[in-house]
Amino acid sequence: MRGPTIQFAAMSAVMAGMTVATLAAQTHKEYRFNVGPKAGVSVNNPYGSVTVKPSTGNFVVINAILASDKVEVDNSLVGNRVEVQSHLLAGADDRNARVDYEILAPADASVTLHSTAGALRAEKLHGDMNLEGAGANVDVRDITNAHVHVKTLNGPVSLTNVQDGHVEVDSLSGNVTLKGVNGPLVQVISTSGAISYVGDFGDHGEYRLTSHSGDIEAVVPDSTSADVSARTVRGEVHDDIPLQPKEHPSYVLQKGIAFWGTMGRAAASSTVVLRSFSGKIHLRKRSEK
Amino acid sequence: MTCLELRESLVEQEDGSRPEQRAHLKDCSECATLVADLLVIACAAGELRASHEPSPRVWNSIEIALRQEGLIKPQHSHHSLLPSFGSSWGWSRWLAPVAALLLIAAGIYVRQYSHGPAIARNEGRPTVQAPVPDTTIAGLNASLKDDDLLQGISQQSPALQATYTDNLRRVNQYIQDARSTVDADPSDEDARRSLMEAYQQKAMLFELALDRSLP
Repeated sequence: MRGPTIQFAAMSAVMAGMTVATLAAQTHKEYRFNVGPKAGVSVNNPYGSVTVKPSTGNFVVINAILASDKVEVDNSLVGNRVEVQSHLLAGADDRNARVDYEILAPADASVTLHSTAGALRAEKLHGDMNLEGAGANVDVRDITNAHVHVKTLNGPVSLTNVQDGHVEVDSLSGNVTLKGVNGPLVQVISTSGAISYVGDFGDHGEYRLTSHSGDIEAVVPDSTSADVSARTVRGEVHDDIPLQPKEHPSYVLQKGIAFWGTMGRAAASSTVVLRSFSGKIHLRKRSEK
Repeated sequence: MTCLELRESLVEQEDGSRPEQRAHLKDCSECATLVADLLVIACAAGELRASHEPSPRVWNSIEIALRQEGLIKPQHSHHSLLPSFGSSWGWSRWLAPVAALLLIAAGIYVRQYSHGPAIARNEGRPTVQAPVPDTTIAGLNASLKDDDLLQGISQQSPALQATYTDNLRRVNQYIQDARSTVDADPSDEDARRSLMEAYQQKAMLFELALDRSLP
């Protein structure tokens, strides 16, 4: 065999060995708890992902894949609340202490997830949820009638199809994307992350999107009806949609840095506030295909 | 009971449970929000107190700032205003109180600016309530060392230090910009709210540093 071929074979063997060793070190654990209505589920997982989906009954099933024996899963049922904690042991680091959880919980369960860096996902639930993590990538979808509170440092946040929600997202530098999100209150605050909203701003809510230096874009359909005010100090605003101007705005509407008006029906039902200190704010119509 | 009287009464009954407080809170959403915020902070502080305590240095610096503002009187004994704590507490113990203080300071600042003139107008008489001096926040901020946060992160989670450093710089810029906007037009409600949100972001930064999930 030629040199390169031998080298390739040796590398393949080493990588295969490492893969086998990794798989061998992994362990899978499953825990099951019977709970009552409106149970609580709390997961604290420094490294690794947590996914929560609805179960078919009043029970919580926790599937955990542990990367090594440097981490173990502490779990307990306290009252009607399931608490899960990845317990790091001596010698643990971000690779060997990784635990990936897939959790089935009643759809009406309240969910609290903490992670430093793993992805946090929740879908098809209607209990309140609180997701926090410094670098966590947060993905929430198909949620109805729930409080959704998200906090991240630089992890991106994506909320999709959250109906009738009380939504509060705080992220320092992570980008925040909202698609089909509506409810009585939808609030996003970011220091430098961009904020993107795609949807119709519901029919009776308060929507407040604020970023210090990040850009804000709202893409809405023709049918949208809302009072929209946008304002920036050092950035710029763009408005592609004709608005009926307000008669008595509470601040000076200087062209290029602020606008305020009503779109759709004169008796608008939702209030939209877009604020950025130095970012661009863009309100535009969704292109119909 | 007016908004001013309600806030003064909170000194004696902070949960707003007295009948006259309840009557006012029922009709005043802003005061109700204030009381709710105070309760959240009090509850959070109580929980944290049970397991975490700041270092004496942090309490001392806060005490000094409060004394300089005349908000507390000198004590005759040499004991600190706040209890001293054992050396076994880790660096992160003070982060939650710091975050709470940031929020309280910002809240007081914004609310005073926001409600003072309105109260005076509504009641048709001068109010003795003066805005909290800027130096109070400056003093508190001075005692809340960003370097301590970063040093703690470097010890606890070195891999996150660059991220925290970058975000701390950004949020400090946010506060600075929001502050300058308020200073330019103190009656600008938007600007005041931005300042409050900027402080909230910084409080969240400290809170995340205290994140229970940190190894």
